[in-house]
Amino acid sequence: MSAVPSTCPFCSCGCGFYLLTNNGQLVGVAPSETHPVSSGRLCARGWSAHEAALWGDRLRQPLLRQNGKPESVSWDEALDHIAGRLKALIDAGKPVGVLGSPRATNEENYLAGKLARAGLQTNNVDFSYHSICGPLFAGLEEVCGEHTPTTSLNDIASSQTILLIEGNLAETHPRAASSVMKAVEKGAHLVTIGYRITQMARLSSLHLQTTPGNEREAINGLLAAILDLRRQDRTSVAVRGEGYEALWRDVKSVKRTEELRQAAEWIARAERATFLLACTGGQGDQPQKDAAAFATLAAITGHLDRPGSGLLPLLARSNVRGACDMGVIPERLPGYDPLDDERARQRLQDLWGKKLPSDHGWGAENLLQSVSGLIVVADDPPSVVRMGRRAMAAMGRIEFLVVLDAFVTPTVRIAHAVLPIANFAETEGTLTNMEGRVQRLRTATNPPGEARIGWQVLAELCARFDVGNSYTSATDVLCEIAQAAPRYAGIEQRLSEGGWGGALLKDSDNAKFVVHPTGATGAAALAFAGRPHVLACDGAFDWGRDPLVLFSPTLSRDYQSERKFFPNGFVEMCERDVDALNLGGQRHVRLTSVHGDAVVPIRVRTDLKPGVLSVPYAFRDHVASVLGSDSVTAVNVEPP
Amino acid sequence: MAFAIERQAITKWLQKLLESGEVIAPVRGPCGDILFSTIHSPEKVEWNFQNPLHPPKQFVLPQTDPIVKIKRNGERHEVAPTYDDTRRFLFNVRSCDAKGIAFLTRMYEMEPADASYLRRANNLTIISLACNIPCPLGFCVCTDSGPFLRDSYDVQLTDLGESYLVEVGSEKGETALSGVPNLFHPATEDEVSQRKRLEIEAKNHFEQETCHFASAMRRISTGRVQDALWEKMSDSCLECGGCNMVCPTCYCFSVKDLGRVGAWVRCRMWDSCQYAAFTLEASGHNPRAHRKERMKRRFFHKVSAQYYQRDGMVGCVGCGRCIKVCLGATNMPAVVGAIRKGKWNE
Repeated sequence: MSAVPSTCPFCSCGCGFYLLTNNGQLVGVAPSETHPVSSGRLCARGWSAHEAALWGDRLRQPLLRQNGKPESVSWDEALDHIAGRLKALIDAGKPVGVLGSPRATNEENYLAGKLARAGLQTNNVDFSYHSICGPLFAGLEEVCGEHTPTTSLNDIASSQTILLIEGNLAETHPRAASSVMKAVEKGAHLVTIGYRITQMARLSSLHLQTTPGNEREAINGLLAAILDLRRQDRTSVAVRGEGYEALWRDVKSVKRTEELRQAAEWIARAERATFLLACTGGQGDQPQKDAAAFATLAAITGHLDRPGSGLLPLLARSNVRGACDMGVIPERLPGYDPLDDERARQRLQDLWGKKLPSDHGWGAENLLQSVSGLIVVADDPPSVVRMGRRAMAAMGRIEFLVVLDAFVTPTVRIAHAVLPIANFAETEGTLTNMEGRVQRLRTATNPPGEARIGWQVLAELCARFDVGNSYTSATDVLCEIAQAAPRYAGIEQRLSEGGWGGALLKDSDNAKFVVHPTGATGAAALAFAGRPHVLACDGAFDWGRDPLVLFSPTLSRDYQSERKFFPNGFVEMCERDVDALNLGGQRHVRLTSVHGDAVVPIRVRTDLKPGVLSVPYAFRDHVASVLGSDSVTAVNVEPP
Repeated sequence: MAFAIERQAITKWLQKLLESGEVIAPVRGPCGDILFSTIHSPEKVEWNFQNPLHPPKQFVLPQTDPIVKIKRNGERHEVAPTYDDTRRFLFNVRSCDAKGIAFLTRMYEMEPADASYLRRANNLTIISLACNIPCPLGFCVCTDSGPFLRDSYDVQLTDLGESYLVEVGSEKGETALSGVPNLFHPATEDEVSQRKRLEIEAKNHFEQETCHFASAMRRISTGRVQDALWEKMSDSCLECGGCNMVCPTCYCFSVKDLGRVGAWVRCRMWDSCQYAAFTLEASGHNPRAHRKERMKRRFFHKVSAQYYQRDGMVGCVGCGRCIKVCLGATNMPAVVGAIRKGKWNE
């Protein structure tokens, strides 16, 4: 039995654990008391991390679709064929693109980005989850000048006040929830904002229950109450920043309840406060504005950059931060520098020895629908993006689809070329957690069959597009990353010195905050007489279709049974709403929105308030005709 | 009868054990954690250590345990059990863990006996190291499973400074001491009384670390724990299952076939009664769909008089691992305390 220290591949908390192997085969996971993030604790996903690697439906050989059927070919044949087809598409003037992934390492993402920009000469590069978390980053950047967090997971536990935009933290980020619980145990005030009465809401001192997509009403209420405090008591309530007079004009008419005043007191008077922000739903640019308003709340109370205080965006998947930092976003280069930043462009052109394209690229959803050639690295876009099944249909129309993955996913099944790569337990490379902690994955076991290490495959593809470099290890790639992304400068040295727990990226000098008007509250006008209910898509990620969960016998049980018993999905509503419909034993309702209608099964929930319906992210396809491209919409509910 | 061995002679004994089988001992890993690992040389063994968070039960009940091989043969399937007959010595295991393995073995010996488990257990020699200083979060004194053992070991070592007192608790223990003439000598009266004094001193080290099982047992066995209390406590659980994974007495598992081409291996895997799908039935019905019901079940199994009568002890050896590993706050002493007081975090 041997124990290999590695990093948990699920959420972006970045816990450390040991992968246990016996005769070269994974057999389990052991916690580590010395790891700075996890300190001996793991969530259910972490405890079963070895299972998907062991039980997963694995790719073992390169495959090319010939006469409609995937056939095994040699690596050289596959790579040559892929390069040839992509070059032909580019020569024919057809758009091509690359999707990176938060399930892939920094090294893989970096090379995916390099392949796209320097090799394929396109800025059509993104990762599918970016379509979900992008607005959150944009909102934070608007206010803070940066999209990155200003506090750490461990600091949460010593907060006196915690403000949480709830996206079911207990399930999405158990490690972060654990710190919140510890703080609450020590007497911290937890204020939750959300439309469900979740576990964290039940533990809170105060739950501000909103309607879906209208979290900003609560945030604006808090802003108003905090500005009231400042006006009453200039000396003891720190309210800082430029432009808050404009902010005051925006929020002064918001109704202040006693609850809002109380929460404002807790936030304003706390020495240390944490602001936790999940991706919110809503129409148009609402999620971005929610994030900006939330950051403003942290900024004007001085909690954005005070030691022990800060804001932490909650990202669902392990390497979202890394994928951003590696520049697998159309408008961002490695280092998260804007595409039109001349200095950054020059830096990369010098490093890569190629002129970089300047045309703006497509984001993930557009990319899926518009390119003729696509390389997908370790992801299954339809299970991630909001458009769900429609993305699968769009991908079916792509002329040449290449997938690099460890696992057989629906995307792999329709690909024209499949390259088998190692999974997290078999590869070497780094992940960057939500705090900016860069940590190593270490090889615990060998990839099956002919599968290769992901960065090696991408390096081979790069070489075929004349942007090769002779990397001999993942560390070589990391050294290049250190040159490409300034914040990663010296990272390989810091990693080897930092040991267990990796190295924290340094804070950027760009951090500054600007107080913007928050704009009127979002969805107040969403519901109206014709459609008095609101339907919300609940959550922002479906672990049940991620191969790391799907292939784990222990973790997939709940998800699979729910899909088995509700093949047509369901929407959740409160008992009062169900009673009012007089369904007479029916277990279905018809939902009608401005976009269209659907008949769906219902499930009664006790944590929703009347007028609110919710559909789990996993079942969004079943109400796609009702939701359209929104994540929240007004609906009329009637018996089918 | 008790023996003693000089401190320097331990290496020779370990060398002998290494020749006779696989030796597993607490070892300091590359990241500073102590883990139970196979050793290849005596100097790897840790002597001053806090009990590793990951328990040694994995050597009788691995987290992933192949139990049956299934092979397709034409129209038929060949099914053969797989046994692990490796002779193992579990060296420097703490008292609570030795007691935990004895608990597991009692459970797996019950009819129908589990041959796969028993083959491993029968090939395992437990050489425990009594705890002169109990670990900070342990409460083994409340569960009669430490800091020194009266049973459940093959060999029990006590650190006397210059020498170790060696108590033999079984035939396997006698065998482990054999074949190394002159290493062990009969313990002197002084050495025996020193061990007794150390045990008393160790017990005096316990301060706050108590777990009031008796009071909780009365309430839980007679259904006198309010539903509202379970509900409240269950909000402090994050369903990580860590308490089950590290618990020396948790033995529940599920099975899943690991497919290879034309052949499968049926594996037993650790499972957690705190996971929603643990009791999920094929019909879709779940008798313990709510977390509070699962929590109630866990603590009924651990603490009730009904199970105490069957097992002869509570389902806890007081190792304190669940306190460290719990992502929430529902560890054994906290829940037992809440049941006793009838309130949670108030």
